[in-house]
Amino acid sequence: MGPTYVITHPDRLLAYESDGLTAYRVPPRAVVLPASTEEVSAVVSALHAEGIEVIPRGAGTGLSGGALATPNGVIVGMARMNQILSIDPENRIARLQPGVINARLTEEAKPYGLYYAPDPSSQSTCTLGGNVAENSGGPHCLKYGVTTRYVTGLTVVLAGGRTVRLGGAGRDPYASLDMVGLFVGSEGCFGIATEIEVGLLPITESVRTLLGIFDTVEAAGRAVTKIMGSGLMPAAVEIIDGPTIEAVEASVFAAGYPVGAGAALVIEFDGSDAGLDEDADRAEACCLEEGAIEVQRATDPEHRLKLWRGRKKAFGAMGRIAPDLLVQDATVPRTRLPEVLAKIDEIGERYDLKIANVFHAGDGNLHPNLLFDRQNADELDRVDRASKEIMQLCVDVGGTITGEHGVGIDKRQYMTLVHNNVELDMLTRVKRCFDPDELFNPGKVIPDMDADVDAGVDADVNAEVKAS
Amino acid sequence: MSIDLTRSISEVLPAEALDLTVDAGLGRALGVEPETAVAPGSVSEIVAVLQWAGEAGVAVVPVGTGAHVNPRRPSGAYIALTARRLSSVEIYEPDDLTMTAGAGALVRDLSREMDPHRQWLPFDPPDVQNRTLGGLAASGLTGPLSAAYGPIRNHVLGATVVCGDGRVLRLGGRVVKNVAGFDVLKPVVGSRGDLAVITSVTVRLFPVPAVDRVLMLDAPDVAELVAAARATATAPILPASIVLTSGAGSARLLVRLHGAAATVDAEQRRLEIHAGVAFQAADGTDGMDVALAARDSGLGAGVRVRLWALPSRLGELLDLATAVPDASTLADACGGSVTVSVPEVGPDAEATFAELRAEVEALGGGTRALQLPSDLDPAAINSEASRAEAELAGRVRFAFDPDNALWGTP
Repeated sequence: MGPTYVITHPDRLLAYESDGLTAYRVPPRAVVLPASTEEVSAVVSALHAEGIEVIPRGAGTGLSGGALATPNGVIVGMARMNQILSIDPENRIARLQPGVINARLTEEAKPYGLYYAPDPSSQSTCTLGGNVAENSGGPHCLKYGVTTRYVTGLTVVLAGGRTVRLGGAGRDPYASLDMVGLFVGSEGCFGIATEIEVGLLPITESVRTLLGIFDTVEAAGRAVTKIMGSGLMPAAVEIIDGPTIEAVEASVFAAGYPVGAGAALVIEFDGSDAGLDEDADRAEACCLEEGAIEVQRATDPEHRLKLWRGRKKAFGAMGRIAPDLLVQDATVPRTRLPEVLAKIDEIGERYDLKIANVFHAGDGNLHPNLLFDRQNADELDRVDRASKEIMQLCVDVGGTITGEHGVGIDKRQYMTLVHNNVELDMLTRVKRCFDPDELFNPGKVIPDMDADVDAGVDADVNAEVKAS
Repeated sequence: MSIDLTRSISEVLPAEALDLTVDAGLGRALGVEPETAVAPGSVSEIVAVLQWAGEAGVAVVPVGTGAHVNPRRPSGAYIALTARRLSSVEIYEPDDLTMTAGAGALVRDLSREMDPHRQWLPFDPPDVQNRTLGGLAASGLTGPLSAAYGPIRNHVLGATVVCGDGRVLRLGGRVVKNVAGFDVLKPVVGSRGDLAVITSVTVRLFPVPAVDRVLMLDAPDVAELVAAARATATAPILPASIVLTSGAGSARLLVRLHGAAATVDAEQRRLEIHAGVAFQAADGTDGMDVALAARDSGLGAGVRVRLWALPSRLGELLDLATAVPDASTLADACGGSVTVSVPEVGPDAEATFAELRAEVEALGGGTRALQLPSDLDPAAINSEASRAEAELAGRVRFAFDPDNALWGTP
């Protein structure tokens, strides 16, 4: 590698001490920035030969601490592996290196009339490698599905530097178990994807974007259920609640959201122009039936972009309300949204915390954002306790602890809410299929079975079976 | 099976779970008849069967109805385990567009539940209505509708499974977005019973489209339709499916469009301009009859083999497929696959299909037997994953089934 792309100076290592979840900070022992599959393989081989842990990293925009270093670990960053290797419009696939920025792929595919569908809010900075590791979502995944739907093949570097090609478009998909699907979402715990093959979609002819304005977030939640139950297939349905609207409108990302409203819904339909007005009319009627004060429509592409920029930059805008922000992530069955939103509000009041909600309502994928000041130890403790209650609430109604941000280090403590000991053991067994010595991204996803796992796991199916 | 083993299994299962027959095609598909079939009525009964089989040294082969199992050759005695008694709808929230049902539930029965709510499962492998939900998940087969809706692996949101050694796992969940842990559910979907017995499945449902239009274009030779099929597949719209059929001196291109009436009308016009053709169109029952006939066209054949390659190689795949004597074909122009069906085969069939496999692999693709007479060896026809990928998959299989209880051999 040579010294240029091996970072060891403590000052420079500070840039790598956390990812987008800044509550956790551990500077790595070193950072290595390889430029090819061969270099990644050589680096992993050398590090693993010494028993040194490897922490893969994309752009570091993750929100669960998935790219957090260990004190003795070395971060292998993918920033230099940023080439789009090919775009094949005939087969609608692209091959690229993991450091390619998500939005850049769509830009490069545009001349072919194609785009890459998963669009995380951080798409202007996050990388495809990170998206693969986290199985990232985004607003338009409601209609088009998350990252795993689009990844058709991977080249991965595994323990000891072994390079393996998984899947690939055009192959018999049943020749093997779905190893690509298993690798996607493995949060850097299995190995490092060094080449990614993804499917692309044709750019839709037209789009209609609506802004529904409501007195309460619960009413907006009911409208979401009504729209989704009506047979419509929106491309995206997003809720932005009152506190978020205020933060966005006070920021440089002001989108024209109605300050003072309880909540706004951004609803989008895409496809052939001919049917979109009818879809938009039906969605508007659903909103009005659930008590919308008003339903506006984006008047031109610039107006639409403004509405979306406000939504996608909402997390950043919250810096105006509080110095620190914990972006929570959980999914609930869509029909339970109004009830869950009311209870989150109640939890916020009980813990005297400001909670702002901005999320993918159509998927039931919540993002309650807990605002706090890390200098205030008591507030930090209340954030922790409120987070736990929110997670338990989501699980109790049939949901889960993370919809798109991953478990990382932050959600490990909640894994026992959704998995019993046998299931957690299975996760370990599967990790060891790829990484027998557990040298890739240790301490992530799977809770420490001795320290973290609650013996009284809810709904232990195996215990029930054994008892029967 | 010896009388002792029969008695032995009767001690771990209630009478209603014993002496059940499975589809007569199962023995033909696997080259050997099962010793017996069992139909456990609960997760704990499945655990008991697997534990019994482990002690008795008998393999267990999970089947849905037994009618759609891909050909394979178990190395020794086996019992067929069907989940048909696990067939109830456990959770159905129409407004959530999700359903959890027992693995043995027939798709046609689930469709009956969904119909009043105008919802459906947009999967169209042959004979889908007579498949079980668990069988569908285990097969991983989606059909050509995956062009618009994506493969079934993305719509199986959760499953409860029993591993070969009796461990019970709840994988995934009931919600459409879920990244709480590694996606261990993905390799189970499409594993054809290699990893675990699926006992219940949660699937994402879709609203039934207002209009389901079938566009048709006929020609005497399928080669004449390839350009139109590819033009349709690369048009700036996303049809629900694009299928090419051929056989008995005629060929047909079938394109399904889903959506509101105005949308479908506009998309038909755009497609016709883009592909430079004029389609015949049929909506409603007329269109569905044509689409379903195409979907099930090869079902009664003695041999069915599917070929895969990149969609851009569709013409070459079809050239290879139609060169097989007496073949009829069903091609998915978006998915890049062609299913070759042959009514009967002669003594040189294995060599013919092995040669076909080599030619398809030379295109960068692969082949897989879907239906074979018992004297043909599927191993000669099925493409294999790379050694490294197969070795990794073997480890995953071991994690689920360390004693090789399912199917008996790795």
